[in-house]
Amino acid sequence: MRWKAFLTWAAALAAVAVAARSLERVGLPPVSLLETGLLAMTPLALAAVGECLNEKAGLVNIGLEAIFMVTATVGVWFAEAGRSGTVGLLAGAASGALLGFGLGAVSVYGKADQIIAGMGLNVFALGFVPFLLISLWAFPGIHVFPNELMVPRIRTPLGQVSPVTLAAVLVALAAHLLLHRTVLGFRIQAVGERPEAVDVAGLRVDRLRLLTATVGGALAGLGGAFLPLGWFGALVKEISAGRGFIALACVVFAGLEPLLALGAALLFGLADGFASAVAVTPGVKERVPFYFVSMIPYVVTLAVVAAVIGRRRFPSTVGRPYARE
Amino acid sequence: MGEGTPRVQMRGIHKVYPDGTAALRGVDFHLYPGEVVALLGENGAGKTTLMKVLSGLLRPTRGDVLVDGRPVHFHNPVDALRRGIGMVHQVFTLVPPFTALQNVLLGQEGAGLLRPLPEEQARARVQQLLEETGLEVPLDVPVESLPVGVQQRVEICKTLYRGTSVLILDEPTSALAPVEVDDFFRFLRRLRDRGTSIVLITHKLREVLEVTDRVVVLRQGLVAGELPTASATPERLAELMVGALSTLRVARAPRSPGQPVLAVRGLRVRDDQGRLAVQDLSFEVREGEVFGVAGVEGNGQSELVQALTGLRRPEAGEIWLAGERVPSLDPLSLYRRGLAHVPEDKARFGLALGFDLVENSILGRQREPQFVGWFGRLRGPVILRYTQELVRRFRVVAPDLTTPVRSLSGGNQQRLLVGREISKEPRLVVAMHPTRGLDVASTVYIRELLVQMRDAGKAVLLVSADLDEVLELSDRIAVMYGGRFLGQGPVEEFRRETVGLLMGGVVPEGVHADAARPPSPR
Amino acid sequence: MRTPRALRPLVESLATVALGLVAGGVLVWAFGHSPVAAYRALAVGAFGTREDLLETLAFATPLMLTALTFAVGVRAGLFNIGAEGQMYLGAVGATFVAGMVPLPPGVHLVAATVAGMLAGAAWALIPGVLKAWRGAHEVISTIMCNWIALHLSMYLAIHFLAEPGRAERTVPALPTARYPVLSEESTLTAVLFVAVGFALVVYAYLWGTRAGYELRLAGENPEAARYAGVRPERVVVLSFVLGGLAAGLAGASQVIGRPPAWSLYATLGNVTTLGFDGIGVALVGRNHPVGGILAAVLFGALAQGGRLMEYEVGVLSELVRALNGIIVFAMAVPELWGMLRRRLSR
Repeated sequence: MRWKAFLTWAAALAAVAVAARSLERVGLPPVSLLETGLLAMTPLALAAVGECLNEKAGLVNIGLEAIFMVTATVGVWFAEAGRSGTVGLLAGAASGALLGFGLGAVSVYGKADQIIAGMGLNVFALGFVPFLLISLWAFPGIHVFPNELMVPRIRTPLGQVSPVTLAAVLVALAAHLLLHRTVLGFRIQAVGERPEAVDVAGLRVDRLRLLTATVGGALAGLGGAFLPLGWFGALVKEISAGRGFIALACVVFAGLEPLLALGAALLFGLADGFASAVAVTPGVKERVPFYFVSMIPYVVTLAVVAAVIGRRRFPSTVGRPYARE
Repeated sequence: MGEGTPRVQMRGIHKVYPDGTAALRGVDFHLYPGEVVALLGENGAGKTTLMKVLSGLLRPTRGDVLVDGRPVHFHNPVDALRRGIGMVHQVFTLVPPFTALQNVLLGQEGAGLLRPLPEEQARARVQQLLEETGLEVPLDVPVESLPVGVQQRVEICKTLYRGTSVLILDEPTSALAPVEVDDFFRFLRRLRDRGTSIVLITHKLREVLEVTDRVVVLRQGLVAGELPTASATPERLAELMVGALSTLRVARAPRSPGQPVLAVRGLRVRDDQGRLAVQDLSFEVREGEVFGVAGVEGNGQSELVQALTGLRRPEAGEIWLAGERVPSLDPLSLYRRGLAHVPEDKARFGLALGFDLVENSILGRQREPQFVGWFGRLRGPVILRYTQELVRRFRVVAPDLTTPVRSLSGGNQQRLLVGREISKEPRLVVAMHPTRGLDVASTVYIRELLVQMRDAGKAVLLVSADLDEVLELSDRIAVMYGGRFLGQGPVEEFRRETVGLLMGGVVPEGVHADAARPPSPR
Repeated sequence: MRTPRALRPLVESLATVALGLVAGGVLVWAFGHSPVAAYRALAVGAFGTREDLLETLAFATPLMLTALTFAVGVRAGLFNIGAEGQMYLGAVGATFVAGMVPLPPGVHLVAATVAGMLAGAAWALIPGVLKAWRGAHEVISTIMCNWIALHLSMYLAIHFLAEPGRAERTVPALPTARYPVLSEESTLTAVLFVAVGFALVVYAYLWGTRAGYELRLAGENPEAARYAGVRPERVVVLSFVLGGLAAGLAGASQVIGRPPAWSLYATLGNVTTLGFDGIGVALVGRNHPVGGILAAVLFGALAQGGRLMEYEVGVLSELVRALNGIIVFAMAVPELWGMLRRRLSR
């Protein structure tokens, strides 16, 4: 596994280097590209690491997109109410935890078909979020909130980096250590592979799974709130634009390993950043139609998903409810 | 024989399921320290159910359980384990990628949730336990790459590690070769001499007589009889189990076989993990004979059958069916050439449980010209009539033809499946574990059907882990071990003990492994 | 009361929908409106007058088709949630032929319809082939294709199909490529019959032909399907193609079968979210083509009634979509109705 992690990181950094060189010449400053790339990586990484834990325990949450949408809206509202971006981020994490817990509970106790339940969340959000936007702000299409509510960034040699981005990296590390070096992580892996073994050993399958579902939801919620509060500075209906599913692609690509998921998130984040940069840079944006640029993140994700055959070791019970007897 | 007060007392145990089936109808069962008790009975007699009640997996509908004289109410297996009662099931609950040590540790880690796994501290304790009991378990190999017999030992170690004084074992020798069984019995005796009470759930009379102190026979949810092993005989036990002296023998007239229908030469097949499961196998099956392959599961039988039936690509070798070389991975072309396949797990491979009888009756036959019309449309009336005929001829009991097949009993499901395959008028029937888990009536019926096929001049390849079945039905047999045939020849030439040894990989003097000459292709 | 076996799925579906409506009612109440008034307006708006009923059917038309996309996928053991993208391209294809390729009457309508269906099927081939050939996760690939299709379709609509002088929509379908309107008071056209007809054809195909049988077998038990000689790649591609044809028809229906615009909005507003809405329809319809038709009428009623609900009670019609999601969520729990019934009867 080590060499695969190394390769992913090497690939990402190599891509960065190559891109930086060629972009300089075209007139797209690489530093700002990296900045945007890291911003784009943050929500993907948070959601992906959370979902890695969730899937290791045998559950699957394809409602990450819904969580992004809902927590972005909730986060902004709480940021305005509490006059602070941080409050908004926390509210996002809390509401994400709630959604994750709800999906987890239905999966564990209701023996729900997790994919359908996740899609239910997505469809729900597609209706509920626009509803919320109009109810809360008489939404004309975009809601801009005061700049001071945004989470401030820190100046580093790599450019302006958000503290949430650093948190995402730490979270990935923590998840890795948790999974591979603690008793809790040991039990989580067991419950994803063979819940019967965990049950017979006297441990609570449902509590383990509810825990990962809630934590996964909280991390995704943090990522969702970050989208307006840490990056875009405004709230639109399509603030997520499929990012929840791109996070899923990170998880698949990473074979459920948090550190690999972080690397994948960086890769996709850079693609996202590249697309944004192309769309706004004079000299370049006239040459490439906006619509095709917008497709770049999705095409990249599609290509990665197509290239990576899922012969990876997925816990054998991912997605299947556990019933004793 | 145990003495003193019973360690476990079960009184008047009833267990009725929500759908009305009464698995236990008032059973009393006692267990003393330091004894091995056999719980004997047929499929469905209630022995596993009774022990599931004792081990905390099930709650009795009525009745009491007392441990060391005090009443107990177990809500789950962990409660029972805390009182020293542990059960090792037929299907193991091991986490495949974890090592044996990790599997034993699961749930007993001791440390706080966020602490590292205390593997080294536990290792010492586990090794001490292994020494005391004489159990041999490799601690650092992922459990999924261990053979079934060793996995069972890991499972037993798991239970013993939690401090059991009552060990319940459900059909423990079903996955063991005869040689491993001896080691296992030695371990049981050692455990018993240390004072553990052991319950052996089994249907194998010979083993009961060999290693137990007492026998309790269950029949249809009640105790049919209880006696010390010293005064038990196989006939008496069989009588208690089945209710009358009956025999599962099927009449078989001698035949003279004809041309080879199936010829295999130099077959090599790999399993899903890339290991060589079938190694250079050569044999043939002729018209009018039953060729039986005996052997403990896991020696390549599944891969062999899959290669012969178009479900797995062989790595090397040739297969001829009815004189023609067969392509790989094309079951339909094999069916066209006269292959009928009764798969090892009907619910998994041979039937679609959610479909009704009509749709299952054409499973594998859906491209036959008689069933398909213009534009690929299925000929409804023709298929319906054919299904009705199947149901009548093979006595499949079902409410009506549109019930989903999962509502049928196992025996009726298998009748439908076997009937479907036989009605293809095949030239070769490949049947694997055809009567596993079936009730007695269906078992006898299906064995009769196989013999009828043979009498009608078909070739039958029977692969079964049930040695009695193989010996009874076959004209020629082979014993499969480690991907090879150890010993191949007419059934009359093999004594039961010899076959048992071969199944365990031991080739006695006078028996030639691969006794048959490789067949010449036609 | 024991329900006869055949009716049980229907009863369960209706019961779960009812549960969803209750949850939706709670949501409505939480935002300060009366659930009773809201649902009353919903019912009146959907079925109150003849024109309301026809409009309900107009809303149902594309839904029964996008439901088919998802349902055929599930029957084959897959998750095709790409109806959105397949529908967009179907609309684009139909717009092109209907608005820019003059053909004799009769032929023109058929050609536009077929163009839409084929465009949808072609787009569905992307995730289909990727799944069959590379085993690519169809959940992720279909969603990615949805987003790519969104941008691609908008691009095509604006740059190639736009009506000169009007930036917000494409050229309208020529009169020879418009489905006859069934009644002056509503937007319902004869494309409804094509939709129903297509659903029935798919039903006949899945249950009455060998290929359909093999597709369903692959979804029911992939190992038994292998035993029966079914080639999994063919089933995958077939199910995606069928789904794409259905979604493409759905997209076409919104252009050549829906007055007064008879064209595609530049924002794709008259086709968006219909794909996802179809998932709920499929589930309530038990992933069966005929069930989908009935469920589509139900969800069409919700959509149509939602407009009156918004107008009269002030509850936004977006909530109807949220309700759809709640129903999907509830349908995800098998035996939900059974479990609740047992709880309540204690």
